[in-house]
Amino acid sequence: MKRTMQLLGLALGAGIALAWAQGSGPTDPQIAAIVVAANQVDIDAGKLAERKAHATDVEAFARRMVADHTGVNEAAADLARKLHLTPEANPTSESLTQGGEQNLANLRKLRGGAFDKAYIDHEVVYHQGVLDAMDKVLIPSAQNAQLKALLVRVRPAFVDHLEHAKQIQRSLGGR
Amino acid sequence: MIMLAAVSLAIGWPAAGAAQPARPDTARTRTVIIEGMRFRPQNLIVRRGERVKWINKDPFPHTVTATDGRFDSHAIGPDGSWTYVARKAGEYDYTCIFHATMKGKLVVLDHDDKH
Repeated sequence: MKRTMQLLGLALGAGIALAWAQGSGPTDPQIAAIVVAANQVDIDAGKLAERKAHATDVEAFARRMVADHTGVNEAAADLARKLHLTPEANPTSESLTQGGEQNLANLRKLRGGAFDKAYIDHEVVYHQGVLDAMDKVLIPSAQNAQLKALLVRVRPAFVDHLEHAKQIQRSLGGR
Repeated sequence: MIMLAAVSLAIGWPAAGAAQPARPDTARTRTVIIEGMRFRPQNLIVRRGERVKWINKDPFPHTVTATDGRFDSHAIGPDGSWTYVARKAGEYDYTCIFHATMKGKLVVLDHDDKH
């Protein structure tokens, strides 16, 4: 299972990077759609985990994911309005959304400690994958200075989430 | 001197020199910006009685919570702020309880302390 999750994480990060490797990177409207999709995926998983998490630290983590990623999406939406930039769906944003739906379908079948473990394992690979994509594709490709600045500004939150998820993952392993 | 001033600025010390009042200016407000998951300046030294205002520039909530329980802002929303009057001298490490990687320190000097 862990091996599968690692592969999923690699696929997420590398998939986004490879999707744009052959040609030019995504345009700003495409980046906006990728950002919105990436955040929405984690908001949806977080909302499910708020209801189903067994351990209190997992529930608190889920609450934080919903709050932080909602905040990032609102900031992205505000900026998009200001820049008259309409998010443009693309294979990467659609793949993120599809991956999120698969994750939800998997999580809905689980309960208790098994749910907690699957949710947190996915959060680790998800945040690692998104960070990878931010560093290799999204930040380097962003043309508008304000869009690039927003990505740079929120990147540390993804690092913090990844560290937090890894810490919970370690503690779940010991229970 | 230029080096000293630069170091003072970087760690948030009050600049030494004629501009400093002989007695603490209780109305003075010092500012800490929360942005990019960091407290800037990370370390701030104030005089007892001064106000410290934390302004959250991140798009999600943070807290300013002393690890010894001396102060706790509770959630400060995006573009929100919280002000604390530093009434007791001491060194206070603080964090954001939502994001444990965020660390800051508030040093409150007594009126007679030299720095």
